[in-house]
Amino acid sequence: MKTETEVRRALREWVIRTNGKIAADALTDRTPIIEQRIVTSLQITDLLLFLEELTGRAIDVEKLKPGIFRDIDAIYENFFGKADGV
Amino acid sequence: MKTFLGKPMASERSIDWNLLPGYRWHENGQSTFSGAPLKLYQKLDRLFLQWAGERGAAEHRFPTFIPARELDRLDYFRSFPHLVTFPVTLDPSKDNLAAFVRGAPLDDAGHLQLAASAPIADVLTPAACYHFYIQFQDERLAQPRYVTTRATCFRREDHYAPLQRQWSFSMREIVCLGTADEVKAFLAGGRATVEGFFKKIGLPIEWQNATDPFFEPARSSKYLMQKLDPVKIEMVFNGDLAIGSVNFHRNYFGEAFRITRAGADAYSGCIAFGVERWIFAFLTHFGTDEAGWPVLT
Repeated sequence: MKTETEVRRALREWVIRTNGKIAADALTDRTPIIEQRIVTSLQITDLLLFLEELTGRAIDVEKLKPGIFRDIDAIYENFFGKADGV
Repeated sequence: MKTFLGKPMASERSIDWNLLPGYRWHENGQSTFSGAPLKLYQKLDRLFLQWAGERGAAEHRFPTFIPARELDRLDYFRSFPHLVTFPVTLDPSKDNLAAFVRGAPLDDAGHLQLAASAPIADVLTPAACYHFYIQFQDERLAQPRYVTTRATCFRREDHYAPLQRQWSFSMREIVCLGTADEVKAFLAGGRATVEGFFKKIGLPIEWQNATDPFFEPARSSKYLMQKLDPVKIEMVFNGDLAIGSVNFHRNYFGEAFRITRAGADAYSGCIAFGVERWIFAFLTHFGTDEAGWPVLT
């Protein structure tokens, strides 16, 4: 079981690796990754697969709510925190 | 835009479009206007133009065709193959033209027998605002840019209905290119103006999150993205007919056409009005007698 710090770090590393351009210090947990298209529509499916790997459970796409991938804070809250959105 | 279910609510008037003076419906998904309906068309567009003017938007008039190469940058053909309409011409070789003339150009079903067609490299405009991103490609914007145009747009559908779902229709758009904050402020201001207008004239409109009509949405990552981060809000009349929309494109077009603002890919957004659908809403809600129509200013 990963700690909150480890999960957040893993998410940040995935975003930086996938985007390929953004510098590590330019990405915080509040950076709007969808609005700024740091994660694009072409990468959203990969993000879902990565989250399935991290959480260890399947994600039902139909049940996903708007805003769930807004930033790393939102992803953490919805997939790992109390407000489990899946 | 939303699927139109074709059933007016009890409070709205049911109109026999074949009997409406000044209006003619064509089964191939097009409308002809004259008289009072044409006056309504013109007044509505003047109103949209007035709203565009209040935002300092410069008017443009674009041609009908868009090079396919430009739309391909947006992955348009994979996203909307069911909607796209192409201008087709005959292969210009003498032999082919002679074969076309000698054969029966039209069959009994009214279908053209083209012989060979020439290569197709253009598309009939599917959305008015695409022209702007193509026009402004490679520009560095020193300030936000506000523009407007009305275009005849073409979207092939599996069925058509008078004024509600047409193969060719008029779309007025007011567009902003700038930073994210500039575009968001433009969209918020535009929505407030339109909302205030609906309230003033008493037109029942609900604002609803929506997605673009992607091909095979269940398999479209763009559709999924729009569901997860709504960027399109529609002005929905009677619960089922979108007469316009407010759209935030993020920096999608800025990146695709290398338009920059403040050192980064420009953001963009548009407020779109489907003129025929506005006419439908007006006629069914306020009646076909122009004396009953609200003042459009």
